Amino acid sequence: MLSYLVFFACIVLILGMLTLALNLQWGFTGLFNAGVVGFYAIGAYTHAILTAAPQPRYVGNFGLPWIVGVLAAMAATALAGWLIGMLTIRLRGDYLAIATFGVAVSIQLVALNWEPLTGGSQGLARIGKPLAELFPTPFGFNLWFLGLMFVLMATIYWALDRVLMSPWGRALKAIREDETAAVALGKSARRFRLEAFVLGSTLMGLAGALYVSFIGFVSPFDFLPIVTFQVWAMLIVGGSGNNRGALLGALIVWAIWAGSGVAVAKLVPPSHAAQGAAIQVILIGLLLMLVLLFRPRGLIGEAAVVSRHVND
Amino acid sequence: MDRLKRVASVLAVTLTAALLSAAPAAAQGCPVKIGGILPLTGSMAPITKKIAQSAELAIEHVNQGGGVKGCPVQFILRDDQGQPTVGVDAAKYLVEVDRVPAFTGTISSGVTGPIISSVTAPSKVVQITCCSTASPFTLDGRSGGYFFRTIPTSKTQAYATASETVRRGMKKTVVIYINTDFGTDMLRFYKTAVTKLGGAEVIAEVPYTDNQPSYRAEVTRALAAKPESLLLIGFPKDAVTIVREWLSLGGTKSIALNNSMRTMDFVNGVGAKFVEDVFGMDNAQVAGPHVDAFNKAFEEKFQADTKGPGVHTQYDALMVMALAMNIAKDLTGPSIKDAVRRVHAPGGSVVGTGPAEYKKALELIKAGKPIKYFGATGPIEFDANGDVTGPALVWKIKDGQIVTDRIITIEDMQVLFKRIEN
Amino acid sequence: MIAQALADGIFTGAIIALGAIGVTFTLEIMRFANFAHGELLTWGAYLALVVVAFAGPGTPTGPFSFGWQLLAAALVAAVLTGLAAWAVDTLVFRRLRRQGAMPLTMVFAAFGAALVMRHLILLIWGPQSHYYTRELQIAVELLPGVRVLPDQIFIVGLALAAMIALHVFLVRSRTGMAMRAMAESPALAQVCGIEVDAVVRLTWIISGALAAFAGVFTGLTPQLHPEIGFNLLLSLFAAAILGGTGSLAGAVVGGFLVGLAENLSLLVINPGYKGAMPFLLLLVILLLRPQGIFGQRT
Repeated sequence: MLSYLVFFACIVLILGMLTLALNLQWGFTGLFNAGVVGFYAIGAYTHAILTAAPQPRYVGNFGLPWIVGVLAAMAATALAGWLIGMLTIRLRGDYLAIATFGVAVSIQLVALNWEPLTGGSQGLARIGKPLAELFPTPFGFNLWFLGLMFVLMATIYWALDRVLMSPWGRALKAIREDETAAVALGKSARRFRLEAFVLGSTLMGLAGALYVSFIGFVSPFDFLPIVTFQVWAMLIVGGSGNNRGALLGALIVWAIWAGSGVAVAKLVPPSHAAQGAAIQVILIGLLLMLVLLFRPRGLIGEAAVVSRHVND
Repeated sequence: MDRLKRVASVLAVTLTAALLSAAPAAAQGCPVKIGGILPLTGSMAPITKKIAQSAELAIEHVNQGGGVKGCPVQFILRDDQGQPTVGVDAAKYLVEVDRVPAFTGTISSGVTGPIISSVTAPSKVVQITCCSTASPFTLDGRSGGYFFRTIPTSKTQAYATASETVRRGMKKTVVIYINTDFGTDMLRFYKTAVTKLGGAEVIAEVPYTDNQPSYRAEVTRALAAKPESLLLIGFPKDAVTIVREWLSLGGTKSIALNNSMRTMDFVNGVGAKFVEDVFGMDNAQVAGPHVDAFNKAFEEKFQADTKGPGVHTQYDALMVMALAMNIAKDLTGPSIKDAVRRVHAPGGSVVGTGPAEYKKALELIKAGKPIKYFGATGPIEFDANGDVTGPALVWKIKDGQIVTDRIITIEDMQVLFKRIEN
Repeated sequence: MIAQALADGIFTGAIIALGAIGVTFTLEIMRFANFAHGELLTWGAYLALVVVAFAGPGTPTGPFSFGWQLLAAALVAAVLTGLAAWAVDTLVFRRLRRQGAMPLTMVFAAFGAALVMRHLILLIWGPQSHYYTRELQIAVELLPGVRVLPDQIFIVGLALAAMIALHVFLVRSRTGMAMRAMAESPALAQVCGIEVDAVVRLTWIISGALAAFAGVFTGLTPQLHPEIGFNLLLSLFAAAILGGTGSLAGAVVGGFLVGLAENLSLLVINPGYKGAMPFLLLLVILLLRPQGIFGQRT
């Protein structure tokens, strides 16, 4: 059980990283990025292409060290974030959503079709797991990876906190709360939004690299729109605008997804497994709706901060 | 709101109770658990229904015939929803919490792949799939020898298809194929084969993504190449749409199909009279009493025919697993892995499908005698990579029924392989 | 070739347009992106199937593959789906609106509702495909190089008729004008004495009914399965946004454009990239006209 929970926690933290990144883009900046999975994919594939074991048919697979893959993934997604941001940030809310969604769909299709580089529908395998030689057992490796994730997440969480309390972060908040006033004070809304978008995308790319180095395999089927929907659900359920909410949302939503499967497998005999599976998804839908009906602002809704002097 | 709160609380309590009741089972106690992962929901759901039934039948026969190591077998079947992370999570739970010594699954290589690299290989648990045909899984050593499949890779089917289209003189063929590893694999091997064999030619290739309401655009593009014949590679649900649109747009009736179309869902979906004489390939179930016994048992239990992808191979995957678990000296991964190939040992006594045959096999195993399992697909012999080969068969639709046109024997297949690969 | 792709695009577009109208209505009148709209299509199709199971699709009338019974079934399904849509709203979405939930909360409540609705169909009818009729039509060559199924012509005709009828309703009738008023400004509409709940109810019924028709037409060509609506969902939203939300004409034009984009694009691009086409089109149009084709600049 412990071994499974460690594995489960690793997945939750990776998804949590995606949710934190999305929170930066949406919760703090008001950018409706419906293409989360696209940046996830760019990070994942960049890492995979650079670190996977060589294969004659494919262009990439250089077998480079893990850290190179991770850093390159972040760089690639930062660049992609910048390009896509430049194109789409001007767009209004839901329009931005569908544009970024389309970008993500296109990225997935490129991964699917551009076989010499990405392995096409076969995917890429034998992606190096960090320090796998030091931790040969699955439990040992997962535990080490969990430790790594904890450290990374703690660092990122702390860094995000600092960044958001810095002048840059406060300008961002001002732009979100009242753009006209902020612009009147001389802040370039577009510049700040773009920077937040790029920063968020970079984090998503990092999550992608971590995911594939944890699993050891990547294919285009890892990056279908359902992942975007799940991450968004995590943010909304947890409470957008709130980093703790993002992490809690990741935990709760993924727990619902995994736990419902376990529950159904226990309660429904295998002869009715197909109906049980349908019931599992119905259960997931019901739980999502119930959580939102209870807590429309999310489990830990955002605390609206006006000014720290308000109680003086 | 109160009613809502009550409903929510009940659900939460039930879920938590279910999760907490997952106490890890004693390692070698009864019952012995076997895991299964299939896409029970999602776009593959139409074909997994029968596959799950086949699995259920296998477990029933195993238990009727004596179980594993004197214990009854409990089958735990999880849904991967067609999503890799869900599948990996299910596999991990099966292996770490349910402590299954072996499991079967799944279909989509996008899900099988990550399961192999993050669960099967590291945890050293045997995984036998009924239906995942991506060739790299067994060929590049990534599974450490723990991954087997009871279905030949697409190479076999593609080569056999090529030999048939060449034999029928199907020149100027357009290929419409599903844009997954299965489709691209089949296409690649098919093209290699027809180039080598000569006499047939692929003039255009049109990939398609599954789950679309219409494929007229793809069909139009295919027809633009002015083909004389069509090779369609995919799955029944979308194949019905494609073939109907193909025919209604004036496409030729000279159509070749792959194995998954060998199901009445396809025939009835398009309309039997419209697909008269259309043919397809499949991995052959070597005709014989053991295949018949399986067909009969399945038909009796489920009031449905056994035609459809994965039905026979799933049964064999689980039977092989159970037999191997009995042969193995204990229920650890490495022992079971070594025992898998001894399910079909040289000089072994033939044991077939069904509870009586399984019981016979257990007695032979207990007496230390070798067995040779002949399953619902015929003799199951795994090569060094964990793959099986087998004869192929050509099927066609006649008077609204699916009938076998001819068999390509194992020897013919071997000759064919030599011709293409040398 | 182009002519054929155009014809196919018009046909696909008609169905998308029918569905997009409902999407754009709920977007404008209730400021709500209804993620579960696709499931209304699916439910409409299956409800019609139930009626057909009793009454049969009718012997093929004229060149079509069905008789009037299928249309009657579609009408019944339209009414039932409209009511079902309103019921889901009352159970889930209206509660959230009353609590002042953010738009995104509504979207994901709809996402949850969609999961439930879709898998209820899977549970009740199973994963196998169902069919209204086993007839297979052979396409008729209308013009040289353009082959169309008579069923498709009928569908386009019916869709256009429905859209015109809706337009007349919105422009000429009091209730229609009330709906348009609410789309412009709910607060002002209330001040003028328009009963919000009645308008909302009507919006759902109309959206559901149109979705049901779209679903039946999708199911007719050629099969029903639990995911038919869901598979169209993104095209529906692309069409609504392309056209500029809040505009009936926009949804219709958007729908046809999306259908055409999907079909015409395959003439030039690798079919493997077909899925991206509606979004590429959308991106291009939004870069030139960020409010959509008929949208109002806010």
